[in-house]
Amino acid sequence: MSQEYIAIFMFATMMVMLFTGQRVFGAIGAVATIAALALWGTGGQDIPFSATMKLMKWYPLLTLPMFIFMGYVLSESRLADDLYRMFHVWFGSVQGGLAIGTIGLMVLVSAMNGLSVAGMAIGATIALPELLRRGYDKLMVTGVIQAGSSLGILVPPSVVLVLYAMIARQPVGQLWLAGIVPGLMMAAMFVFYIWLRCRLQPELGPAMPNAGNVPRAEKLKLLGAGALPLAIFAAMMVPFVNGWTSLVESSAVGAVTALVASILKGRMSWKVLETCTKQTLGISCMFMWIILAALGFGAVFDGLGAVKAIDNLFTEQMGLSPWMILILMQLSFIVMGTFLDDTAMLVIVAPLYVPLVGVLGFDLIWYGVLYTITTQIAYMTPPFGYNLFLMRAMAPPEVSLYDIYRSIIPFVGVMVLALILIMAFPQIALWLPEYVYGK
Amino acid sequence: MQAYVRAVDAINYRIGRFMMWGLFGLMGILLWSSISKTFFLPSLWTLELAQFALVTYYLLGGPYSIQLGSNVRMDLFYGNWSHQRKAWFDACTVLFLIFYLSVLLYGSLSSTAYSLGYWGSEPITFFTGLITGEEDIGRLERSSTAWRPVIWPVKSIMALGFFLMLLQAISELFKDIARIRGEEIGSPQQ
Amino acid sequence: QGTIKWRMQTYAGPALAAHVIDPAIEMFNKIAGDRMQIELFYADQLVPTGELFRAMQKGTIDAVQSDDDSMASPTDVTVFGGYFPFASRYSLDVPVLFNQYGLNEIWDEQYSAVGVKHISAGSWDPCHFATKDPINSLADLKGKRVFTFPTAGRFLSQFGVVPVTLPWEDIEVAVQTGELDGIAWSGITEDYTVGWADVTNYFLTNNISGAWAGSFFANMDRWNELPEDLQTLFRVCCDQSHYYRQWWYWGGEANLRVNGTKMQLTSIPDDEWAQVENAAVAFWDEIAAEGPIQAKVIDIFRKYNADMQKAGRPYRYG
Ligand SMILES: NC(=[NH2+])NCCC[C@H](N)C(=O)O
Ligand code: NA
Ligand code: NA
Repeated sequence: MSQEYIAIFMFATMMVMLFTGQRVFGAIGAVATIAALALWGTGGQDIPFSATMKLMKWYPLLTLPMFIFMGYVLSESRLADDLYRMFHVWFGSVQGGLAIGTIGLMVLVSAMNGLSVAGMAIGATIALPELLRRGYDKLMVTGVIQAGSSLGILVPPSVVLVLYAMIARQPVGQLWLAGIVPGLMMAAMFVFYIWLRCRLQPELGPAMPNAGNVPRAEKLKLLGAGALPLAIFAAMMVPFVNGWTSLVESSAVGAVTALVASILKGRMSWKVLETCTKQTLGISCMFMWIILAALGFGAVFDGLGAVKAIDNLFTEQMGLSPWMILILMQLSFIVMGTFLDDTAMLVIVAPLYVPLVGVLGFDLIWYGVLYTITTQIAYMTPPFGYNLFLMRAMAPPEVSLYDIYRSIIPFVGVMVLALILIMAFPQIALWLPEYVYGK
Repeated sequence: MQAYVRAVDAINYRIGRFMMWGLFGLMGILLWSSISKTFFLPSLWTLELAQFALVTYYLLGGPYSIQLGSNVRMDLFYGNWSHQRKAWFDACTVLFLIFYLSVLLYGSLSSTAYSLGYWGSEPITFFTGLITGEEDIGRLERSSTAWRPVIWPVKSIMALGFFLMLLQAISELFKDIARIRGEEIGSPQQ
Repeated sequence: QGTIKWRMQTYAGPALAAHVIDPAIEMFNKIAGDRMQIELFYADQLVPTGELFRAMQKGTIDAVQSDDDSMASPTDVTVFGGYFPFASRYSLDVPVLFNQYGLNEIWDEQYSAVGVKHISAGSWDPCHFATKDPINSLADLKGKRVFTFPTAGRFLSQFGVVPVTLPWEDIEVAVQTGELDGIAWSGITEDYTVGWADVTNYFLTNNISGAWAGSFFANMDRWNELPEDLQTLFRVCCDQSHYYRQWWYWGGEANLRVNGTKMQLTSIPDDEWAQVENAAVAFWDEIAAEGPIQAKVIDIFRKYNADMQKAGRPYRYG
């Protein structure tokens, strides 16, 4: 079989397997194993296992359970309740203010955990019912929460950027810093969109004239709630950026800080701790098993020459300009993201793309930010999107699946716009890391 | 079938519950690493030990995560299917998962045998030989780090993890078969 | 008769491989044409470096370029691969030891016993420290977490160095993320070639070994299946690779010390460094005590170094 056919064959069978609804890691692992046994030759049967050893040596993965745990502590212990109240009081009286405040909430939550699940859970349990009760449009608020929570992987800490860093062999610190400005920019764009929509159709986000009628002293006190996320963020980032703790150590520091904060605030109980620990195991296992399978797939794919075939197709046969190739890659990520798990996509495809991006002369830190935004879009677009799944599971019954699908459209539009802006002006992403690390 | 499902699910549930607290062990190792580095000499072994801990955590915790239903599926079609139909499809496709896990298990056994100094290609014969006394433990494989721990313990844990995962996958198959027959065996996802 | 296809994996990442192996493999493929093609994979690409030996022994990978130490060969000579402290002073010492002092025969015997063909050993660069903070005395080594070879790490830990082993490709980032304080894995040529010079600031001119020893290996069955002329061609290409490295490193080390701008040079005074050299004598004894093969190799090192000493300039000065 020629290498092109092997590439097509492996991808196509994987796709079919995924569509049957089998667990993602099983689908990917099985295809890799079949290809290894059928096509590798001597010793092919050892490849799926040797991925376990490779995975073990990937030390940045140690951060994964830590960042996941942080997120669950935040959402399960309801540490964010005060934060929500803060935004409620400060912004409630503005047109669409609660929705805008929710975006603010999501930014702060993002600074305290590495995934978007926590933001999703907090948004769906605290903000969503409240907003619906206040007469906000349900399409608007479901969209706000999904879009807002996706900031979790762009604002540091970010698990997706850790994974990208590992595959692209780029420094996590710089990638994280590179995510901050684009993350805030995107949050600002969401806010602007909400404000504009509510300007035009006030019924989407009615103002609550008396939301701000709280004594001034109390109002200021509420601001203190905002100090908590900043403290957690600082406890983790400051030693890390200064090189006092390494990346993996910082992740443990972050997890412990979140835990201690929840205990000090009197929000941690045995029951809550148990839930957090259990969920962390579940999500960590999901990630690790997918990466395990995808690493095996990647090695087989590479060893059979399929990687070279694709490389060749992109660079030589199509004869495209660097920008064309870059845009094609982004498009292919978006298309793949509609059916493939983002981690699997990263582990399988990035080893083909990333070196190419480097060779074409683009900055790999910047590309990491582009990749992350693309992943965020993939999280939210049907049919396969984690945030969609989560929203479906967590939303109150009056929000139908159809609502969820429709709600994301304008926000995806905003994200695509942000993506284009960052592509056009790489400095949006690169300025901060260059400033801090004095490149 | 029912007895098998009950036994396997119970074992994996216990192990998984135990592993889930292992998270704090991992946290402890990483914290020790930063404490020892700040106040004393950095330790040689923390990073590698943490890596072993993570492997143990996710491989032995894997079966429980299946019980919890944490492993995502692509549910474009699947999500809308009836119970029966899901069971039918799962019963067929889980065979692929079982196949994958068997190859992983075989690979891990062969690698564990190697780590005990066996260089042939029949790990099973080696292990039975160890029991009957026909085979001996040879040169122990050590990790190529300065700490140089022997590798067989972590490789054995890997083999155990794949084995338990395989048992769990078979249990899922039995549950699907029962569902096709219109019954529900084993506890639904805890 | 179809084209023979081999998969080969090297310990080096693409940037370094461009010098230490790519040219040789391209040459081989060009000459062998339709008869045989070797596909080269880089560090950890198909299997992690720690698993390379087993993968080759089983035939999952057909051929390997690595030092014995990094791929954890299950032989008694493994400790001597990579940087064995103070075993050599110049890069020409390595081929002389293998070709004229009997190491080839020992290696051949050791690897044949485990189903692997040892094709030939070659020499690389000396071993220096590249660090974020300057090293001016032995005390500065204390507590530094350094990426280095297993055996070199064992040796260096008596000076307070904390040796860390990570995948080769992760080193640059690990220095940036704080997992490592420095690297003791190469000379200055590689520091510049692979990007480590960009993340470290200082280069220590004292070295713990004059040349890295690494080899080409193949799965024994695959090797025996090759027709004799292809075996010869493979050997010739390996030798070409050894030759390339001789001048590439030798010239590169001097040039970058003199003209490089990315790293500042520091030195530990000779009389203080003598402590390290003396420690090596004790370390040799310790290794020799591990078994008869080790003892034999150490004897050869001793004899060789004594001969060089007697030969005087330009072999040894003082
Ligand atoms: N690759 C995955 N399985 N990702 C799952 C996580 C997705 C989720 N929306 C998050 O970021 O938290
Ligand atoms: Na985050
Ligand atoms: Na999607």
